[in-house]
Amino acid sequence: MYKAVVIGGSAGSFQVITKILSSLPKNFPLPVLLCLHRLKHVRSGFVEALSIKSTIPIVEPYDKETIKPGKGYLAPSNYHMYVELNKRIALSTEEPVNHSRPSIDLTFETAAQAYRDKLIGIILSGANRDGAYGLKKLKHAGGLAIVQDPNECQVKTMTEASLKLTTVDHIFTTEQIISFLLKLK
Amino acid sequence: MNRYELGIVDTRNIIKTLQDVYNYDFKNYALTFFKRRVEKIIINHNLKDADGFIQKIETNKDFFEIFLHEMCVEDTEMFRDPSLWRVLKEELFPKIIHGAVNFKIWFPEVSSGEELFSTAIILKKLNLLKNVQLIASSISELGIEKTKKGLFDPKKIEVNDPNFKRVFSESELSDFYTHENDTVNWSTSLIENTKFIKQNIIFDDYPKGIKLVLFRNQMIYYNQILQERFIKIIYNSLVPGGHIVIGNHEKIDYWNSDKDYTLINKAESIYKKKLS
Repeated sequence: MYKAVVIGGSAGSFQVITKILSSLPKNFPLPVLLCLHRLKHVRSGFVEALSIKSTIPIVEPYDKETIKPGKGYLAPSNYHMYVELNKRIALSTEEPVNHSRPSIDLTFETAAQAYRDKLIGIILSGANRDGAYGLKKLKHAGGLAIVQDPNECQVKTMTEASLKLTTVDHIFTTEQIISFLLKLK
Repeated sequence: MNRYELGIVDTRNIIKTLQDVYNYDFKNYALTFFKRRVEKIIINHNLKDADGFIQKIETNKDFFEIFLHEMCVEDTEMFRDPSLWRVLKEELFPKIIHGAVNFKIWFPEVSSGEELFSTAIILKKLNLLKNVQLIASSISELGIEKTKKGLFDPKKIEVNDPNFKRVFSESELSDFYTHENDTVNWSTSLIENTKFIKQNIIFDDYPKGIKLVLFRNQMIYYNQILQERFIKIIYNSLVPGGHIVIGNHEKIDYWNSDKDYTLINKAESIYKKKLS
């Protein structure tokens, strides 16, 4: 019944995200939208690093690329990544939000507009508050809100900010996030 | 952080008003972008909601100009993607501009002018500025006026200077601007021969005989229909063998587009119009 998963993370999330991506089945039924804070001037290397471990293909999408199931879409460095209502990626160089470009808030908010209650949102470890507002919008649109257990996070700021703003559906450890995703059909 | 949110019906009504009153068609802008942009304008100008926006824009031509200006996304940095500017400086510009006369370079949407000034600075450093005719167009008259004055936000210096160092490690960007009090003033001699054109939104009157187009990260605000229309306009403006540079996450990818263009640098999205 769900149509997409959107994941946001910052400091301390890389290990978690590679663990998740390496545990998904090759035929994972949903697209995975990834908005992770990253260095602006390092354009290459990140998607390659994620791809080594991931069982599903990970791309940094082109503007207006069609979103397909079983594929990961990583927000490119120095761009915001939006989801259009017709389920295509749209990129933007508008000013940073929460000092971040890509901003997790914007990816979550636009994904929530496009997928409404068919969206799963996951906020991971991170050092700023980006993502908290986006998760609130996702929940408000009927989506399922998951936050990584702050006790497990290398940096708690992002998850705690999210929990403060939204009554989430689940607070999960990495292992629980993985077993939850494995049950999706 | 509470934001005003436009509904789909409101968004359609706004697009219709702009079409009916000003004959400007925004329906092929990317919807998420258009919506977000108008939401910001509504908040910044205390217009309360979509009706407030429509009332104001229907009756106030000056506000329409402000709206056009704020629809253009301001570039946040000079020399964005330094690796591209190194390719232009070290390979493409010397190869295609050296020895040329009146070599026309077109910026279809010059926005806040960073791409124009970045290009002019590189050409100046290569002693090629005298060989070119820079042409900068925009849908915003206000944007053009601002760019002509060479006034920039001083906050951008902290991004611009390191970017420039990645292109010219032994020069200083500050050779090209003065920083006094709260303003950064670019040396406008860089653009003294630049031709500025106010475009209407359908670009029915575009420049011809162009040898190079710089149009990075502007078509991302359009949907595929408008993107394709612009790529065709640019095709007609370019001479055979002319070049176009788009953003590094943009593609020229319509049906049979490989008959029109050759991708000559994938990492930096540089295309060349085929000879015939």
